[in-house]
Parts: sequence; C-alpha cells; structure tokens
Amino acid sequence: MLENYFPILLFILVGLGFGCAPILLGRIVAPHKPDSEKLSPFECGFEPFEDARMKFDVRYYLIAIIFIIFDLEIAFLFPWASIFQEIVNTPAVKLFGFIEMFVFIGILVLGYIYAWAKGALDWE
Amino acid sequence: MIEFKTLLFYLFSAVLVLAALRVITARNPVHAVLFLVLAFFNAAGLWMLLQAEFLAITLVMVYVGAVMVLFLFVVMMLDINVERLRQGFWSYLPLGALIALLMVGEMSLVLGSGYFGAEAFPGSQVTADASNTKELARVMFTDYFFPFELASIILLVAVIVAVMLTLRKRPGNKAMHSSEQIAVQRNDRIRMVKMAVEVDAPAAKGE
Repeated sequence: MLENYFPILLFILVGLGFGCAPILLGRIVAPHKPDSEKLSPFECGFEPFEDARMKFDVRYYLIAIIFIIFDLEIAFLFPWASIFQEIVNTPAVKLFGFIEMFVFIGILVLGYIYAWAKGALDWE
Repeated sequence: MIEFKTLLFYLFSAVLVLAALRVITARNPVHAVLFLVLAFFNAAGLWMLLQAEFLAITLVMVYVGAVMVLFLFVVMMLDINVERLRQGFWSYLPLGALIALLMVGEMSLVLGSGYFGAEAFPGSQVTADASNTKELARVMFTDYFFPFELASIILLVAVIVAVMLTLRKRPGNKAMHSSEQIAVQRNDRIRMVKMAVEVDAPAAKGE
C-alpha cells in the first residue's frame, strides 16, 4: 500500500529542494556585506513607527472556527463515501447508514443557518 | 542496509522531535506555530508509515489546514509581549516542572495500563492490505454511530458559541451596501410636499 504514496514523498522532496536550493545558493554565491542600514527594516524611506505585528480583528477568529467545523464535517464524509457502495448494497444498514450521515449533516446545517441568520458570514 | 521505511521513520521522527522542541523554545510565537505545522506534517508522515491513511490525511487537512490557521489568528490577535512573558521564568520553573511531572505520571498510568495499547482491543480480523479508511468507517458508522452524532452536536455548540462570543456590530460603521443602493426607489430619496401656491407680494408703491 505504501508504495502508492511514493510519488507524494517524491513530491515533498522535490518541493523542499525547490524551496531550499535557491535560498542556499543565494547564501553561498551572493556577496554578503551587511551593514546596519541594510539590515534595518525598510518602510518607504522613513523610520518604522511601530511593530509590524499588530492586533488582528477578532472576526478572523470567527471565520477560522467556522472553517474548522465544516472542514471536520468533510473529514467525516470521507470514510462514509469510501464504504457508500457497501452501505447501499447491504439491506440491513441501507437506510440506517444513509440517514445517519444526513442527521449529522443536518445538525451542522443548523449551525450554518444560525451563523448566517446572525450575520456572522457578512463582512461589513 | 537498513530498510527504506525504517530510514523514513527515523527521518520523520527526528524532524518531528526537533520541530516540537522548537515549538517550546522559539522566541516568536508565530515561529512556534509554524514549527507546530512542521511537527504535524511529520506526524502525518509517521501515521502514513503505519498505513493509517485516513488519520494522516485528516491530520494534514484538519490540523494543518484549519486548526493551525486558527492558532495563527489567535497568536496574532493576542498581541503577546514575549519579553514580559519570559519574566520570572525561573521562579515559575519548580511549580511548572512539578505539574509536568504529575501529568507525565498520570499519562503513563493511563496509557501504560491495559486500557490502551494493542492488547486492550481484541484483534480485528483484518488482512494486512485492507483499507484502513474503510475499516474505520465500518466501525464508526455502526458500533460508534452515537458518538459520531454527538460529535456533530458538539460542533454545533462550537459554532453557536463562536458566533455568540465574537460577533459584534461595531457602532458608527459607514460601510455601504451596494444591493440597498441599487434597490433604492425614488420615494426613498425625495419627498414631495404639497403646499399652497405662493404669490409674489405686490410691489411697494412709489418705486
């Protein structure tokens, strides 16, 4: 089974190499003469006023958590989809296996409706 | 000549341990989060070596894709002052170490006993190259269907709580709504007032 994933490993290795090689090459080949002016942060020619890390709006948190929830829903759909043929072909669990997932999705859709109705998905 | 899989295992675990170490030693919290992403990727690689495909993909999709984005947002939102956070590190160390030891002890008691581990679960009759995902699904949608539905309720609660806690309308928002602008009617903008006709006053005499 694992040999099916060999292309992915290859992909990771090539991606790593592709990302790291230019940086390393630049380090090795390029001339390196730092001074304090070169190393200081550049902001349109004047001294930077404040730290670059400013506070984020809390709204991004809301977007992220809604994303997590529906991401998880998709994660649960994967195994269900992989045995869907089996569920449909087994009379004993045919309806049960089908309804089960729709109850799951239905409960999450309730949350979706709530977020939508509250205006959490709007960006003012 | 060691086996290729063993080599990969050592590679993944070495990077995992180093990344995990950097998570707790990195000065910049954003760097710590990025190292945690690296650690998750390597843990996914380890799971893949154990042929747990579904867990590996879920780890990448849910944790790297969603949870770490949330972590990054939280770290950026909190505006942590690292210098202040590091104050009094040594004075807190004894208490922290005590709690850490206690937790390690408890975890080893739980994980080392018969509740977890390969012996705790009766061996399922699974052949070596059976699909891990399908096997998981068969159990999850039959024996564990109730916890599965409960999970959706917990997620629903999470949505509602997140909306309740973070959603607030800010006063004085001057954002324009283009749909309202387009749908505007003539009557919304001008008001016709009926009034008596005004007649110019007659011009004063002698002028």
